[in-house]
Amino acid sequence: MTNKVSKTLALMLATGVVLGGCSNGGSGGGSSAGGDGNEINDLVIPKLATRELETFNILYSQRNEDFENLTNLVDGLLEHDSKGNLVPALATEWGTEDNGVTWTFKLRDGVKWVDMNQNEKADCVAQDFATGLEWVLNYHKNQSSNTSMPIDMIKGAEEYYEYTKSLPEAEAKALTAGEGSKFLEMVGIATPDDHTVVYTCRTAKPYFDTLATYASLYPMSQAMVDELGGADAVAAMNNENMWYNGCYTMTEYIQDNEKIFTKNDKYWDTESQRFDTVTFKMVESNDVAYQLFESGDVDYVDLTESNVKTISGDKNHKFHNYMVDALPLKFSFQFHWNYNKNKEDGKPDVNWNTAIANESFRKSLYYGLDLTNYLKRFNAIDPFKVENNYYTMKGLVSTSDGKDYVKLVHDKLKLGESDGNTPIRLDAAKGNEYKEKAMQELSAQGVTFPVGIDYYISAKSQTALDSANVLKNAIESSLGNDYVQLNIKTFVSSLSKEVATPRVASFIGSGWGADYGDPLNYLAQLIVDDDNAYYATHYENINDVQETPATKELIAQFKEYTALVEKADAITDDLDKRYDAFAEAEAYLIDHCLVLPTNYDMGYCLTKFNIHDKMQAPYGICNDKLKNIRSSADGYTVDDMKAILAE
Amino acid sequence: MFKYTVKRLLQSVVTVLTVVTIVFLLLRMLPTDYYFTEDQLMKFSEQQRTEQLEAAGLLDPVPEQLFRFYGQLIQGDLGESRRIQNGVPVTDVISKKFGISMQLGLISVAISLVVGVGMGVMQAKHKDRILDYTGTAYTVFVNAVPPLVSYSLILLFGSRILGLPSMYSSRNAGASSILPIVCLSLSSIAWYALWTRRYMIDELNKDYIKLARVKGMSNKEIMVKHVLRNAFVPLAQYLPASLLLTISGSLLAERFFSVPGMGPLMTDAISRYDTNIVQVLVILYAALGIIGVFLGDILMMIIDPRITLIDKEGGAR
Amino acid sequence: MEDQKKDLETVNEDELFHFVEYSPDAAETVSYSEYSYWRSVWQNFLKKKSAVVLSIVFIALVIFSFIALAIGKYNYQELIPDSTKSFIAPNAEYWFGTDNIGRDYWCQVWYASQTSIKLALIVALGECALGITIGCLWGYVRKLDRFITEVYNIITNIPVIIYMTLIALMIGQSFEIMAVSLILFGWLVMARNVRNLVLMYRDREYNLASRTLGTNIWRILVKNILPYLISVIILRLALSIPGTISMESTLSYLGLGLDINTPSLGILLRNARSYFLDYPYLLVFPAIIVSVITITFYLIGNAFSDASDPRNHV
Repeated sequence: MTNKVSKTLALMLATGVVLGGCSNGGSGGGSSAGGDGNEINDLVIPKLATRELETFNILYSQRNEDFENLTNLVDGLLEHDSKGNLVPALATEWGTEDNGVTWTFKLRDGVKWVDMNQNEKADCVAQDFATGLEWVLNYHKNQSSNTSMPIDMIKGAEEYYEYTKSLPEAEAKALTAGEGSKFLEMVGIATPDDHTVVYTCRTAKPYFDTLATYASLYPMSQAMVDELGGADAVAAMNNENMWYNGCYTMTEYIQDNEKIFTKNDKYWDTESQRFDTVTFKMVESNDVAYQLFESGDVDYVDLTESNVKTISGDKNHKFHNYMVDALPLKFSFQFHWNYNKNKEDGKPDVNWNTAIANESFRKSLYYGLDLTNYLKRFNAIDPFKVENNYYTMKGLVSTSDGKDYVKLVHDKLKLGESDGNTPIRLDAAKGNEYKEKAMQELSAQGVTFPVGIDYYISAKSQTALDSANVLKNAIESSLGNDYVQLNIKTFVSSLSKEVATPRVASFIGSGWGADYGDPLNYLAQLIVDDDNAYYATHYENINDVQETPATKELIAQFKEYTALVEKADAITDDLDKRYDAFAEAEAYLIDHCLVLPTNYDMGYCLTKFNIHDKMQAPYGICNDKLKNIRSSADGYTVDDMKAILAE
Repeated sequence: MFKYTVKRLLQSVVTVLTVVTIVFLLLRMLPTDYYFTEDQLMKFSEQQRTEQLEAAGLLDPVPEQLFRFYGQLIQGDLGESRRIQNGVPVTDVISKKFGISMQLGLISVAISLVVGVGMGVMQAKHKDRILDYTGTAYTVFVNAVPPLVSYSLILLFGSRILGLPSMYSSRNAGASSILPIVCLSLSSIAWYALWTRRYMIDELNKDYIKLARVKGMSNKEIMVKHVLRNAFVPLAQYLPASLLLTISGSLLAERFFSVPGMGPLMTDAISRYDTNIVQVLVILYAALGIIGVFLGDILMMIIDPRITLIDKEGGAR
Repeated sequence: MEDQKKDLETVNEDELFHFVEYSPDAAETVSYSEYSYWRSVWQNFLKKKSAVVLSIVFIALVIFSFIALAIGKYNYQELIPDSTKSFIAPNAEYWFGTDNIGRDYWCQVWYASQTSIKLALIVALGECALGITIGCLWGYVRKLDRFITEVYNIITNIPVIIYMTLIALMIGQSFEIMAVSLILFGWLVMARNVRNLVLMYRDREYNLASRTLGTNIWRILVKNILPYLISVIILRLALSIPGTISMESTLSYLGLGLDINTPSLGILLRNARSYFLDYPYLLVFPAIIVSVITITFYLIGNAFSDASDPRNHV
């Protein structure tokens, strides 16, 4: 009896979900391509309240939280397809004839700037890209946001930036990129006609075109600046007075509540499949989002730990067949050892510094540390989906024959293939061997065991604490607590201020998000004697290690690695060779365990739109551009997704 | 009275200025790294960071920043938001948000007053009987369960069982406001009930009530004319402040139901180092709080003519 | 009569009235029976059976939290995460089930209870001590009124979250710091309540008399005025306990609460929030304990408050 009732109830609930979905679909089937009458026309996506938009000026923004909104409103030169290839957006064709010094982009005809209500404002032409770059490089207009890459790559960019900085504020704000302007004179950008933009790089940058997907090179119309009334007004512009050339316009914006994107009928890509409206709802947590999904109010939800456990454990759960892999975060995580650690009192932590400088010590961690349980924190069901053995994010670039760059690293490291039961690099015997060796060598240098490892987590985050506890257990049980001991400590709000700057952590777990499509973007963060090498100077503190017998080998290894990276970067005429040389450097880095790759982050979700249709952009800002995305009011099942991935 | 009002007003201005100055200085003690997201800290060079802070005027010596701030204040310029909505004047940010908070807050105060005071009266009238115990049980339970939990439960039952919208929506403001209002009212009902009951019982023990009974006044008359009126005096003092401060919204209730109000603004602004917003909010809340107390005193005086504010010392609060 | 009046006119006022030496014995001498305030309070309290029972319940809870930790199968300090054992419903092995990373929940709940009770009690007592002292001075000493009012205004008008952020950043996060900071902002309400009452009673005739007799301030405050305040103070005290617990959980929600390695009921409740839909027991157990603590306290407080009102005494 009870059984019957609960089944009926479940059935009712399931129907409820479908009905909810239908009501969302509205009139249904009105959309163009490949319709089986089941698409969603009005998509609703929940976003965590912490991801609120901070600015409407895409040139100023540097946050992914902003880009996931703005990329739907403004288009740049290039975008990605769902496989990660660069494809035309406002530029129809592009290329370089001198190995990457000058780059020419041919623009599309008939691209329009429109206002919120899709009234035509102006044509989007080559001059808008000059105006955009001028804005970015003008210190008083953009306050040095988004300048690092253009300054690094484009000729004259740095000089122009410094020039504007030296000017009084009002004068600098009045500058334009018009004909005969200081900007065109100084900076390596030219607009020979309305449909051509030519960039000149400082040196050969064979990857410069990948920057065209990033905000630094986005267009802005001078007519809009004039209409709004100057630079300050542009900084404060909102959805009601900004100009759009993207696939949607934002017709409603209520901060901390919701945003409505409406299909832009004047959009250049008339062929593309888009939703009539997309609504972002700001929610307090994913638990709330889950309830909204259940009641049919939203079409997507990232599942929490307990959701995953319940849904996967119950075959009769209404969502059991609908729990699919979410898209992985675009970060490759690794542990960055701190080679010059201080104790909390500011004195050097000699014990740790000596231990971590020892290669056998690091290698005992490389081989001996069984991270399986730690990986389960990121993917409870199939932990090896998120196992990571590289420093560079997979899918960043591939060779001309379509081989992923990280595969090159994989081969050079002579790693095996996953057996689905244990992590690939785990080798307990080898780990033990290195442990014995390290204990012997380090004892002789006066290191006392167990070596204390200080690990810092955010005091706000229970998730981080749980993961840290699991990690502690993983480290101590696989290597022995006579050898190492993990101490979990907390910081209140700023990792950099409270942990990295005082150098109190033994290691910091971190993942780098790519800025442009070249392994250099990753590998350059670890080279020595370069202030821009983020990890080397902020987390690993390698440049400040004093040379002693104990650290001699370590310093030599970093120098060797740096030399390998520089050698690879010098290859600009043959990308395959370039990638191969980078892979050589990366393999060296990992083989000596100068960083320890740990994991990717990929959870589970319930979704009614095909997340695999989204643009797969390891760099740039197009990830969340919601065009050419199929949807199904019934939601996607595990089998649906398998079929889609097999396509 | 007029002289007294002016004097108190001037005192209040000094208090508000002191408060905002302290807050201003406290904020400057926070590390400037707060100005950036963790991701930006990673991607920015030292120079870029310094220059952004410089452009925002945050690297000037603190006294200079403070005097600039005073100068702007005198001109009525409250500055611009940096992180909540970049470049937008603080007044615009706040003006979009306070209405909704106030609306929900006022409805909730009205409900709490009616229900809470009513409950307190009933409890006092039926002291030590089932009605009293029920009321006390409610008060106790509401206080016992932290809002973090009770709001979650309301969210759950409200949306699942009653089918109410669990998210605020401007297109369906009526229905979608119900749950946040319930959350807001929950504890203030308990508060009003608790103190009404307490003061009423204190009042009921007084001699004049006995006299009134002896005089043969009806119970109802005694309750309303004497007891409630006197018991309400101490509550009245808080009323204007709580009405005015509905503008500040509620952090948890607004977050949970995605109400686009003022509640989470202060916390967000602090954690993002949006100093202009924090300062303006502090001025606003402090001023309203002080005005509220003043109005409370006046209201108390109106209800209870025995109370006078202007004594020999020139008026204690 | 006429003569007397004349006499009075001729004598100097100073000779007529003079301060008597303060004599503790004389002050204690009363004509009434052997009335002792606290004994009466205690007797009145004992008359309330329900309150007595609840006091026993609370004390039993505190004692049991120690026993519970001792008899539990797992030791809090030695808990080991094990993902294969996550979210196990309560059973013979795990009496309160396990949490999201497979750790015994029983010992966590009881350990957290101890932390929370300790924190709530310390904060409540601290608030009282500080609040009453300052409140009395504030209400009684006219010279201090302006100053303390100003301090009060300033402190109440600066958002707590600014203080807490600064404290957490500058000093750190720990049990002691949390307790001290909650006391430092918690005394305000108590002080204000006390002050308002002191103002009411300060100028009553018997105090005037007492003052005229040369009794010093402290004695007047403690012996004459404080008994009238006890009932309100106790009520405030009883309310401060749930206040502390929910304040603590809200601060934890913002990452400004206790050190994350010191679990409190507030932290457990905060965490359970995201699991309770699927695993209600994670919310139920800590919630029951929080409710028991706060409810007993509230009712004991109420009973004690009634008992302590001298007007209810013989």
